Amino acid sequence: MIELEHVTKQYGQTTVLKNITLSIKEPGIYCLLGRNGAGKTTLLKSIAGYQNITEGIIQVDGKTVTTSTLDTGVSYIENFAKHFNLPVRKLLRIASEVNPSYDYDFASEMMERFELDGKKKFHHLSLGMKTMVSTIICLASNKSVVLLDEPVLGFDAIMRVEFYDMLTESFQKHPRIIIVSTHIIEEIAKTIQKLIIIDKGSIRFFDTLQSVETKAFSISGLQKDVETATQNLNVIGQDTVGGLITRYIFDNPPEQTASLEIHPLSLQDFFIQMVGHKGGFAR
Amino acid sequence: MTATFAIVKRLLASNKISFIITALVVLCATSSGDVVLSNGNYTWLLAAMTPFFFVFYDDTKLMHLGASKKDYYIGCLISYGILAFGISLVNTMIHLLIDPAYPAKAVINMMDVCKWTDNGIIVAGIQQMFFLLLVMIFLHVLLSMQPHWYGWLTDAVFIAIISIFTPIAPLRAVLGGFFQIIMLNSHAILHMGACLLLSVALSFVGLLVLKKKTL
Repeated sequence: MIELEHVTKQYGQTTVLKNITLSIKEPGIYCLLGRNGAGKTTLLKSIAGYQNITEGIIQVDGKTVTTSTLDTGVSYIENFAKHFNLPVRKLLRIASEVNPSYDYDFASEMMERFELDGKKKFHHLSLGMKTMVSTIICLASNKSVVLLDEPVLGFDAIMRVEFYDMLTESFQKHPRIIIVSTHIIEEIAKTIQKLIIIDKGSIRFFDTLQSVETKAFSISGLQKDVETATQNLNVIGQDTVGGLITRYIFDNPPEQTASLEIHPLSLQDFFIQMVGHKGGFAR
Repeated sequence: MTATFAIVKRLLASNKISFIITALVVLCATSSGDVVLSNGNYTWLLAAMTPFFFVFYDDTKLMHLGASKKDYYIGCLISYGILAFGISLVNTMIHLLIDPAYPAKAVINMMDVCKWTDNGIIVAGIQQMFFLLLVMIFLHVLLSMQPHWYGWLTDAVFIAIISIFTPIAPLRAVLGGFFQIIMLNSHAILHMGACLLLSVALSFVGLLVLKKKTL
């Protein structure tokens, strides 16, 4: 279980995390979405106890996590993680030795499946393969919270699909909280249960994917009709082209009429509307 | 403890460069004349180099493999103990077996310089072990502090102490007295006690530094 209470993180004068309160109680695969610089890595590193926050409390399984926590129960991996320059198989074995809860069989199986050459030294691997090794180590750690920071960076399309399968299998084998930060939104949608959107250091959205599917819509038509139809709804964005207007809502959709076009929003469009920017212009 | 010993194994295994450099220097160093330096002295190089690898090379990599900070730190302390024992054993053996074989009139081994051999070779070896343990833990703590402001402050304080205490006679005596206790000490119990006490104190400081460490 992860509890964040009024978490603020500042680097000098810059506030990266702004008074975040978040509670993740259920095991599941959570997707952390945010633009570059939104605070994703800072948030994940803070939960992992890799860095201290300026204000607030972070608790994992009831235990407060800071850099002072000598054993956090959190496994975090970033995409350029440094490892010993050893053969992959040896690296996975050492990981199993230094971490008592490590699932070596799972790690070995994944190594075979991803056709990682067990004899190849870590520094001789491609970027994608290095990231894959780091991700396997992190998932096999079997800690109660697993944080993957942009794990698909450098993966080709096939590797990404296999990665999502691996994520699902790992979770089914050992249900726990897995948070994946990524920019490739649509691909991960089939794998995740809940979505966290962070923007400019604040949590903008935390809910299930089903809620996005049932409540995120675009409503287009003449300005007057659209404004009337959406006046009591939760409007998250708006586009105007000539006399036509499109409003994006996160609410129960209005009744379909001949003058309105109502379409469900894709996850990517929903994300774009939630973070409130498009093409560099504030909306 | 399994994880801790796995970390010890990894720390020692990834310290190959220190082992190789030390071995090369010990084997290749030569000196001539009536008074020569014992090659055993160069075994201390291993104690000086090891903390650099533990702090700057192994730490982050072990964390990324899923090791806990606690296991890493205990692993480091155990490794320093093992290395202190090993270095001391090798230097003692060199002092016993190789130093007498030099054609020179006098062979200077640090165990003699530090007056440890006054207590017999076995006690001298143990004294050396405690001293090297202190040196490695001191270096570990000092190096761990370097990314932080208080590391630089500590460096400045040490430089200031040496600069100020050395030229002023009464202060020089204080500084000399300190080194007489921790290093140039023929009183075995006092020496080992002081080294052990300082090692424990520094270990706690090191733990505080580790708790502040970010990744």
